[in-house]
Amino acid sequence: MKTSIWLREIRRRANSWFIITMLGALVIIMPVAYVVLSFFQPTGENWEHIKEFLLADYVKGSVILVGSVGFLSTTIGLVLAWIVAAYEFPLRKQFKWLLIIPLAIPPYIAAYTYSTMTSYTGVIQSLFRNYFDYQFTPGTIEIMSLRGAVFVLTLFLYPYVYMIALNYFEKQSASYIESAKTLGLNGFQMFFRLGLPIARPAIIAGSMLVIFEVLSDYGVASFFGVRTISTAIFQTWFGMYDINAAMRLAAWLLVIILGIFMLERFLRKGRKYDTNVTQSRPLARKKLRGWTAWLAFLSCSIVFFSAFLIPFVQLIYWSLKTYEKVWRADFITLITNSLVAALIGALIISFFAILAARTINLYPSASSNLLARIMTSGYAVPGAVVAIGVLALFITLDEKLAFIYPKLLGVESGSLVLSMSIAMLITGYVIRFMAQGFNSVESGYTKVPPSYREASFLLGRSMTYTFWKVEFPLLRGSILIGFALAFLEIMKELPLTLLLRPFNFDTLATRTYQYAIDERIYEAAPSSLLLICLSILSVIIILRFEEK
Amino acid sequence: MFVDIQNLSFQYSKKQQPVIDRFSFTIKKGEIVGIVGASGSGKSTLLRLLAGLEDPTAGSIELDGRLIVGDNTYIEAEKRGVGMVFQNYALFPHLTVSENICFGLHKMKRPEKKKRLNEMLELVQLQEFAKRYPHELSGGQQQRVALARALAPSPSILLMDEPFSNLDTNLKSLIRMEVRDILQKANSTCLFVSHDQADVDAICDRIIYIDCATYIGSDKESIPV
Ligand SMILES: Nc1ncnc2c1ncn2[C@@H]1O[C@H](COP(=O)(O)OP(=O)(O)O)[C@@H](O)[C@H]1O
Ligand SMILES: [Mg+2]
Repeated sequence: MKTSIWLREIRRRANSWFIITMLGALVIIMPVAYVVLSFFQPTGENWEHIKEFLLADYVKGSVILVGSVGFLSTTIGLVLAWIVAAYEFPLRKQFKWLLIIPLAIPPYIAAYTYSTMTSYTGVIQSLFRNYFDYQFTPGTIEIMSLRGAVFVLTLFLYPYVYMIALNYFEKQSASYIESAKTLGLNGFQMFFRLGLPIARPAIIAGSMLVIFEVLSDYGVASFFGVRTISTAIFQTWFGMYDINAAMRLAAWLLVIILGIFMLERFLRKGRKYDTNVTQSRPLARKKLRGWTAWLAFLSCSIVFFSAFLIPFVQLIYWSLKTYEKVWRADFITLITNSLVAALIGALIISFFAILAARTINLYPSASSNLLARIMTSGYAVPGAVVAIGVLALFITLDEKLAFIYPKLLGVESGSLVLSMSIAMLITGYVIRFMAQGFNSVESGYTKVPPSYREASFLLGRSMTYTFWKVEFPLLRGSILIGFALAFLEIMKELPLTLLLRPFNFDTLATRTYQYAIDERIYEAAPSSLLLICLSILSVIIILRFEEK
Repeated sequence: MFVDIQNLSFQYSKKQQPVIDRFSFTIKKGEIVGIVGASGSGKSTLLRLLAGLEDPTAGSIELDGRLIVGDNTYIEAEKRGVGMVFQNYALFPHLTVSENICFGLHKMKRPEKKKRLNEMLELVQLQEFAKRYPHELSGGQQQRVALARALAPSPSILLMDEPFSNLDTNLKSLIRMEVRDILQKANSTCLFVSHDQADVDAICDRIIYIDCATYIGSDKESIPV
């Protein structure tokens, strides 16, 4: 190709849409790149100390937690999805979406709720003492330490697997299952010989999500005193004020994640199922009778009660006792802070998600695939790692920009501006939760064939007009789902908020956590409840629009 | 010449063979030219190059005395004034028939726009269907809406990509006649692509046969390659 033609191509594609998309991708990748680069920075004494005495412990904690929670929540999510997809039993339709609701409860809230409920003075032990005159041996039922963390994380993360697997079972397997029935397999044989192998991609995708959530968790592990790499990052940052050592830990966490990605690749290799066989025909569910129907009903009920209803009711009860005391003027500020941060974050995410999904749809190529990878990379990077990268980046920016601040903003020279502002927190949110918005918009684009856009161009309409009049109306549902998902995650997010918030900036999540670690559990209830209600609202929006 | 294509070459990726290789040909004003070729021979690609939806790797295209693609020139699709009827019609599903037809009439004032809309509805005989949505129409009706939408802004040339391929066979012959009438009334220059000889026989003044866009021959006129 001639150079002149090549230049012509570049001029054509370098429109403002494209440039803004690339800037967005740059913002997403910079902080993570910063963390990786810390491998080449000199380290101090602290790091030597951590490496020698603590690192093995942290890694062990993370691995045990990831292993047990990953296995247990995948099992629960998968079994529930199978029951709901393949069988007919009382309240099946209701359970189908009720089992997603636990997603609205942030695990750290569940952690303090359960640990209080099962403690000596908690509702369960009191009940047995007072009504049945029964005394538990200390340590039998208490939800605490490592097993507490496993219990809580499992119960509140299984919906990720459940949702993906359910979708898979409903869409992919109708014909497989029907043919298996004619082969005379019984229920258990069908699950193990058929359900498991068919759902393998869904199992892998779902458990990856769970694993990343566990690696990112700070609230639950720190509440139960489990040492993980994420909690270690906090300790080196807030305990030793050593950001370099914290960066080094974050970099190691990234290495582990990279390893997990490679494992995923390996597990998926050579196992390409024909995903083109889209079964629009719904699966004919088998009607359960007698004790099997009861068993299905009970399994769903037990999970729904323990992963939602019990902690929720307990929180309502506590809230009724304390809301007058907690409801101070600054409670409104908490709500506004949470809402504003989540709204701004989700808006920016939706904006870049649309831009990127559109660029990829417009110019499908290898570099577009790379762009998609970059946009979605944040979901795998733990909140604490994103936070460190963003902080380091913003401090560097402040140093570089220090010379114009006095003139531009009239502040004293040497003041930190960017790294003291809410912009830093929002940037963190955008990076971490971009995947939620992007995946949703991208899947929405499957409903907009390129010929719509081309027809509009040929009718003399600009790219921008085409977007607003043709693409946007068709994408609205998907954009809204992406927005609600991002909103939900930002509202719940704890570690990132704790690390990046400006001085004195509290949200519902940070206040709740503060009360909880101060052992003022009852006072934590009202803010928890509010947070959960707002989250449920987003979950309902998501479910509503996904039906369509 | 009204349309003048010179040495046009194109390939979708560097690894693939060129889909169109140094292809040249011309169209006179008001002519309805048919292009016939097997599926995969590059007919759609040729139309997309003319419309500005793909960029050629070499060659030039002139339209109505204006260079629209050349080594240093690239006029964007929206500025070429080319109309196109897509194989799947690409009607906007969220807009009514009238809204679809008016979509390209942004340069007109309101009364003028209304007049043009009515002309177009009359031309394709869809007056009663103005308020319907595309999914409420039959295949043949959708096809006429697509034609009206493409003709409404009076394009300098109309491109049609296998517009009958989605229709029932028994409908086809009827609709062929209709389309020829519409095109004659609208008095437009048209490039019509099909893999079905009968389509072009019914509609076109002149026919070109292509095989991987290395031009094979025409029954009425010869064109240098
Ligand atoms: N988007 C694309 N990417 C890569 N190859 C393509 C693409 N579109 C078409 N082709 C290839 O280019 C050739 C010509 O395609 P096309 O112009 O659609 O043929 P026709 O319309 O005559 O059936 C075919 O071999 C087809 O496989
Ligand atoms: Mg074609």
